[in-house]
This record gives sequence, structure tokens and C-alpha cells, in this order.
Amino acid sequence: MIATIVQWKELGQTVVASLVAGVGITFAFSLGIWGSGQFAELSRDDRPVAATVAGVVATLAFLAVAVAVVVGIVVMTQK
Amino acid sequence: MSSDVILVIVVGTALAFDFTNGFHDTANVVATSISTGAARPQVAIGFASLLNFVGAFISISVAATVAKDVVNADVITPTIVFAGLIGAIAWNLITWYFGLPSSSSHALIGGVVGSAVAAAGFDVILAEGLVGKVLIPAVVAPVVAFLVAGLAIGLSYRVVGKQRPGIVSRGYRYGQIVSSGLLALAHGTNDAQKTMGVITLALIANGTLGAEADPPTWVIVASASAIALGTYSGGWRIIKTTGTRIIKMDAAQGFSAQGAGAAVILASTHFGFPLSTTHVINGGVMGSGAAKRLSAVRWGVAGNIVVAWILTLPAAALIGAATYGFTRIFGTGALGPILVTLMALSLIAAAFARRARQGAPVEAVGA
Repeated sequence: MIATIVQWKELGQTVVASLVAGVGITFAFSLGIWGSGQFAELSRDDRPVAATVAGVVATLAFLAVAVAVVVGIVVMTQK
Repeated sequence: MSSDVILVIVVGTALAFDFTNGFHDTANVVATSISTGAARPQVAIGFASLLNFVGAFISISVAATVAKDVVNADVITPTIVFAGLIGAIAWNLITWYFGLPSSSSHALIGGVVGSAVAAAGFDVILAEGLVGKVLIPAVVAPVVAFLVAGLAIGLSYRVVGKQRPGIVSRGYRYGQIVSSGLLALAHGTNDAQKTMGVITLALIANGTLGAEADPPTWVIVASASAIALGTYSGGWRIIKTTGTRIIKMDAAQGFSAQGAGAAVILASTHFGFPLSTTHVINGGVMGSGAAKRLSAVRWGVAGNIVVAWILTLPAAALIGAATYGFTRIFGTGALGPILVTLMALSLIAAAFARRARQGAPVEAVGA
């Protein structure tokens, strides 16, 4: 009986999307923090190329988080 | 005349429930930010309150009609809705008193189910809806959030593990401000709609609005204001439980719990499998603690919370049924609801006065 009551498709989609989005956003934000830290450290060590790469990684990672926030707000408006 | 009086009482009670919903669920949005020092308590609560207000205007689809998949809608009367709301408000206040985060939506569904059963018998329950839309999601929500937050914090520690602690804590604290804002918006959008749905249904049932009418502007503004005011009042006991009593969290754990929580809630909204914000956030907090060290979670506190979740539906149902039974002693008119309202207001005033004499808000514990 339970097998027919549960909306397995929606449940599966929710679990997969939650895992991808939740872990993905946290990973991207952590990468942003890592990039920011590396950028500051490498700049202090006078290694401009490596610092730039770290800065680009941080920027892209924070941009990904910003996009995810916008997607979240769009999801709210379209429910 | 009598039906107009009952309508006014139902509208007032729905707004009171909305207030307790905001008050009770403040912790879902601000507890982790306050406990990690990401925001000062009053700032965090003011921010959450504002975004709950804004969130109520983002979407006004009254699809979230209360309990429509759980009880036969044909038997619902304003008095049944009133008794259900009293059941939900009472359970929200009981769990707040004991500092236990429980789902306001489940309390409302339980209250309406109980009062409907008292009015028309057990045949009114739609078992498929109760199991598929309420009970299964109640189990799924904390488990998914636990896993997502656990995986997320494990990954975060690996990524930032060798960075200076200062920049890491500062970074995650900024992140928490964004994730708590997203949660507050989502909460306002989801939960204020329930009140709009209740009031609109009561107006339709009374003949004040047509059957297909959208909620009037005053209903939207009143519901948004009630949930925002409730949020601003802050349920400090629950904030303390979620923020400091389940785990002693650092900023990374706070961000993981909130970020995972926001992702789970929005994903579930998108795929039409709505989950309780309370279950998700508390599951996320437990997951972010357990991933660091199993013993980091105070399992006794976590167990009490789970017991409160299990009791929410039957307890609110019992109170809703008892309330309906009491009102029927005085017939089908407005006298029963008036007496219940006066008794409830007296009890709430006494509880708040007692709490105000004792109250000391939770302090940030630092990260």
C-alpha cells in the first residue's frame, strides 16, 4: 500500500537535487573561501600569477553561489 | 449575524496562528547565525522578520490549502477550522515553552484533522494524503538534511582545512547571512500562505468571496504582517535549542546546516514534495555535528526533538478535537468559539507575562 501512496518520482528528484544543490553550494562557497585565503597569502609572498589564479577561482566560486541564490529565489516565485 | 461573528473569530485566530508560526520558526532561520556570531541576535531577527514579510508577497498561490489532501474538504466548516487552529496554536506554545522545535504546519494539519474527526468521524481522514503528504515527508526531511549537511561539512573541512582560521570563520559567517536570508524568504513564502489559505477559505465559506476568488490584498498584508511580527518577537527558547543545545557549532557547520537546509527546502518546493523547514534545519544541524564527531551531537536533546515531532500530529489533533467538542456544548452558534477565544487569550497572556518575567535571550557562543 505504501508503495502506491508515496510519490517516488518526486521523492527521488527531491533527494538527488537536495544532495547536488546542498553539497554543491557548500563546496563552491568553501572553494571561494579557499581561493580568497590563497589569494591573500600568495599576494603577501609576492607570487602574482598564482595569486591571480586563486583570485579567479574565488571569484568564479562566489559567482556560482550567487547564481544558486538567484535560482533559489526564482524557484520561490514560480512554485 | 452568528456566521459573521464566527468569521471574525476565525480570521483573528488564523492571524494568531500565523504569529505563533513566525514566533516558533524564528529559530529555523536565525539560530545558527546567532550561535556562531554571524549576526547579533536583534539584527538577525530583524533581518529574518523583514524577509519573512517580503517572502509572503513573492507567491500568493493559495495551493497550500490547509489539510485539503488529508481530510475530506466537504465536511470543513469555519468552526472546524477554528478548533484546528486552536489545536495548532496550543501545540506551538507548548513546544515553545519546552524549547522544542516542532513543525507548525504539522500542528495545523493535526489540529484540523482532530477537529474534523470530532465533527464527522474517522471516515473524513484521507489516509493516502496523510501518509503520502505528511508522514513520509516528516521522515524524509530530517534524514535528507542530515545526509546533505554531513556530506557538505565533510567536504568543507577538506577544502578549507589548511587555511587561516580567521578568514575561514569570517567567510562562513558572511555566507550564513546570505543563507539565512534565503531561508527567511522561503519561510515567508511557504508559511504565510497557509494563513492566507485559511482566511480565504473562511471568507468563501461565509459567502463574502466567490468560490474561485484570490486572497484579497488585506488578507495578504495581514498574513505577512502577522508572520513578520511573530518572527520579530523571537522564540528564544527554541533558538537556544537549535543554536546551542544540539551541537556547539562553528561557522562552517552553521553555514553547512543552513546552506543544506535552504537547498533541501527549495529543491523539495520545486519538485512538489514539500518538506518541513523545522525538520530540515534541525536535521541539518544534527548532520553537520555528527559528521565532525558523532559524540558532538547531544543525542538526548536530539531525541527529545524527535519525540516532539512524533507527538505533534496526535497532540494537536487531540486539542483540536477537544476544542471542537467544547464549542459544540454551546450549540452551533458563535458562543462556543467566543468562550474558547477568551480562555485562550487569558492563557496566552498569562504564559507571556510569566516568560517576560523570566526571559533572558540566548547569547552568541562564538565560533
